[in-house]
Amino acid sequence: MFELRAIEKRFDAVVALNGAHLQVAPGEIRALLGSNGSGKSTMIKVLAGLVNPNGGQVLVDGNPVEIHNGQDSRKLGIATAFQDLSLIPTMSVRDNILLGNEPCNKFGVVDKKACDALIDSLLKRFHIDCDPNAYVQTLMPSVQTMLEVAKAVSLKPRLLLLDEVTASLHYDEIEVLFSVMRELKEEGVAMLYVTHRMNEVFQVCDTTTIMRSGETVTEGKMSDFTLDDIVYYMTGQRPDKASKAAEHVADENGEVLLNVKDLAVYPKVRDLNLRACKGEIVGIGGLQGQGQSEFIRALLGAEPIQDGVIEYDGKQVHFKSPTQAVNAGMGFISGERNREAMFPVRTVEENILAGKVAKGKLFAYMTPKSNHAFANSAVEKYNIKIGALDHPANSLSGGNQQKLVVARWIAMQPKLLLLDDPTKGVDIHSRQEIHRILRQCADEGMTIIISSSESEELLDVSDRIYVFYEGCVSAVLEGANKTPELLVAAMMGMTGSEVTAEGGKAE
Amino acid sequence: MTNVKSAMTRFRRSPAFVGFILFLVALVLNALLQGPASFFTVKTINTLFAKNVPFILVTIAQSILLLAGTMDVSCGVQVALVNVVIIMCGQELGLPFFVCCLLGIAAAVIASLVCWVCCSVFRLPALLASYALTYAIKGVNVLIMSVPQGKVAKVYYKAYDSQILGFIPVSALALVLVLLIWLYVKRTRFGSHIYAVGANPRNAFAAGISPVKVQLKAFLLKGVIVGIAGICITLMIASGNPLQAEDYGLRSLSACIIGGLGFGGWGSVSCAVFGSGFYVFIQNSVYYFFSLLVKMIPGFSVTSYWQNFVSDIIIFLGLLMTIVTAKGQREALKQGIVSQFRLNGKPAAAGKEGDGDEN
Repeated sequence: MFELRAIEKRFDAVVALNGAHLQVAPGEIRALLGSNGSGKSTMIKVLAGLVNPNGGQVLVDGNPVEIHNGQDSRKLGIATAFQDLSLIPTMSVRDNILLGNEPCNKFGVVDKKACDALIDSLLKRFHIDCDPNAYVQTLMPSVQTMLEVAKAVSLKPRLLLLDEVTASLHYDEIEVLFSVMRELKEEGVAMLYVTHRMNEVFQVCDTTTIMRSGETVTEGKMSDFTLDDIVYYMTGQRPDKASKAAEHVADENGEVLLNVKDLAVYPKVRDLNLRACKGEIVGIGGLQGQGQSEFIRALLGAEPIQDGVIEYDGKQVHFKSPTQAVNAGMGFISGERNREAMFPVRTVEENILAGKVAKGKLFAYMTPKSNHAFANSAVEKYNIKIGALDHPANSLSGGNQQKLVVARWIAMQPKLLLLDDPTKGVDIHSRQEIHRILRQCADEGMTIIISSSESEELLDVSDRIYVFYEGCVSAVLEGANKTPELLVAAMMGMTGSEVTAEGGKAE
Repeated sequence: MTNVKSAMTRFRRSPAFVGFILFLVALVLNALLQGPASFFTVKTINTLFAKNVPFILVTIAQSILLLAGTMDVSCGVQVALVNVVIIMCGQELGLPFFVCCLLGIAAAVIASLVCWVCCSVFRLPALLASYALTYAIKGVNVLIMSVPQGKVAKVYYKAYDSQILGFIPVSALALVLVLLIWLYVKRTRFGSHIYAVGANPRNAFAAGISPVKVQLKAFLLKGVIVGIAGICITLMIASGNPLQAEDYGLRSLSACIIGGLGFGGWGSVSCAVFGSGFYVFIQNSVYYFFSLLVKMIPGFSVTSYWQNFVSDIIIFLGLLMTIVTAKGQREALKQGIVSQFRLNGKPAAAGKEGDGDEN
C-alpha cells in the first residue's frame, strides 16, 4: 500500500503541489489524471526520487519513508517508466536493462551471460523484436518506449509508475502493454498510470485520482466517472458540446494552394500525392513512422527530396531550407516543442516575438512598448496562462507552451500552416482551445495541414483526412467516409477497394 | 568465425577505428622516414616507449575522465607534482625510493580529489576549473622544489631504460599494467556506470546510480594512473623539474579527441592509445623529415620551431578528420536505423494485417 499525504512542492515562486494526496493498493491500476500543470508529473517524480517534497509524507504500508534519490526509490520496490525515457542511448539493450542492477561474479566482474535467459524472456513478453546487443539509439521510438517499460518491469517492483508511455506506441504495442499490466495486476503489483488518452483509461484502469492546480480534486472507482465528469474535474468547466457539433465542410472547388505529386523522401516516403485548398484543414493520419513527419519536413524544406514535384501557390517550388519556406508563407509547429519550437530559457515575450522578428528587417528598431502590446494581445487572444511576460518559457505547462508556439506562428499570418503532432502530451482543455484557434484561422483563409497520431483529433478538426501507410497514401477520407472505423482500417493498410491518390472519387 | 567477423564490424563502426587508422598511417610514416632498418631495432623501440609512456599514460587517464563526462586539464602539472614529491621526499626526508613513489601517487590522488570537488560537487565547468587548477598546482610544485634538482639511484633509472627478455622495454610494462587495470575495471559495475554517467547523468541517476560517486571513483583512478606516469617520468629524467610536462594536459585532451573520443559515454580507452600514438609518431616523423631535408639540401637549417609548427599543423588536420568521421558515424547510425526498420517493417506489416482481419 503506497500513499502520498499532503505533499507540498514549490519550485521558486511556482507552487507545483499544494497538499496533494494519492494512494495505490496492491493489485490496483490507478489512473492519475490532470491537465498539464496540475502536478501529476511532480507526484510521479516524488515517488521516483527525482524531486524532494517541501512538505508532506510518503508512506509505504503505513510507515513513513524518505525517498531522496533513484536508489531509495528502487529499494522501496518502486520502478518508473519515464515519459522522456531513462534509457542510455549509447549503451546496448542488455546493458540498459541491467543498469544499476548488474549481477557480479566473485571477482566483481559483471556477469552478462547470467541474465541472457532473463532478458530474452523479457523481450518476448513485451513482443520486442530486437538484438539485445543493439545500441538503444538505433531503435525506433516505440521500441524504446516498450524497452523502458520492460526495464521497469524487470526490477520486479511492488509499485509500477507509467508516465505517459503510450504517446509513441502503435495499436498492437498498446495491447501488449495492457495485457502485461493485467498480468502484473494478478501478481499483486500496484500500478499508477498517467495518460492524456481517455479511452485507454476506461479500458484498463480500476480507480482514478484526478488532480488540478496541485491539489487532488477527487478519487474513486473508474466506473463511477464518465468522460464529461473527468473533464469537469480536470478543468473546472463542463466541455463545450456545441463546438464539436459544427461539421466543417470546405469548399470543394476552392483554390488549390498546395499540390504534391509523386513525392519521395528517403527512407520513409515513396510516391506520395496530396492536395490542399485554401481555407481547408487537411489531416494526415496513420500509425507512427509511416512517413508523416518526413513529408511535412520535406514540404518545409528541412529534408531533402529524392523525387517528385511540389506546387505551392501556383508555382513549382523546391525549398532548400526552412528559411525559404517561411519566407514564402509557410509556418511549422512541431510536436517536439523542446527540441524544435521553444526557447525554454528565454522569456515568454521573446518566444512570441521570435516569429515576427525572423521575418522583419535585421536592424529595425523595436520599442519595448510595442513588444509588450504584441505579446499581451497574443496571450489574451489565445488564453495562455502565464505568470508574467518576462518569465522563462519553461515555467509554463506543456499545453500553454504549445499555445505559445501556435500564437507565434499565427501572428505571422502564414498561407500554409504545417503542424506535426502538435497536441502530443497536451491536456484535453488546451487541445480543444488549439483546435478552436485552428478552425478560426481556416475560416479566415489559412490552409492547415495537421498530422496527428490520435484518430479523435483528426476526426474532430480536419475537413479531409489523408491516411499514410508505408510511405504512400492508403486512403482519403472526406464527408461521409470520415468515420472512426474507416480511419482505423485505413491506418492498418486495409483499404478494401482500389484507392487512387485522390481518394474514392473518380477525377 | 562469425564472432570474429562481427567483432571486426563492431570495431569498424566504433569511434576508435579512425584513431586506429591515423595511428597506423603515422607509424608507417615514421618507419619510412627513419628508415625501416633503424626503426625496427630494439634500441629505437625502447627509446620510443621510455620517452613517451608518461604521455600515453596521461592520455589514458584523461580518456577515463572523458568517458565519465568530465575532464582534467591539469594532468600535466600533476605529473610534475608527483615528480617533485618523489625527488624531494628522497632528498629532504631520506625516505626509501619505494615509499617516495607511494607518496607521489598519493599527491596525484589528492590533486585529483581537489579537481573532483570543483567539477562534480560544485559543478564548475570542468575545462575552466581544471585550467585554473593548473596554476595552483604549478605554484605548489615550485613551493616544494624551487629549482630543478635532485637525483635518482642509478639502479632504478637504468632499470627503466633496459629491456626484459632482450626486447620488451620495462617502460612498456607500466603501460601494460595500466591497460590491464582498465580491462578489469571496464568489466565491473563501475565500468558500466562510467559509461552511463558519461552518456546521460540524469538517466543514470534515475536508474539508481550516483553520478557524483562514480565521477569520484573515476578521478581517483585517474590520480593513480597519473601517479604511475609521474614515477615513469622521474625514472626517465632521473631528476626533478617542477615546471615540466605542463603541455601534457591539453595535448592529452586533443590526443583523446583525435583518437575518437568526443563526448561522454561513447568510445573506449583504445582511442587514447591510438591518439597518443599518433602524436608520438607524427612528432618523430617530422623530426626525421627535417633531418632528411638537412641531409638532402645543402645549407638547409631551420629552428626547431618549424618542426613544432609542421607537427602541430598535422595534428590540427587530424582533429579536422574527427569531424568527417563524426559524420561517418552518423551515417552508420542512420544505416542502423534503416536496417532496423527493414527488419521490423515486413513482419510487422504482416502482423497488422492479421490483427485487422480478426477485427
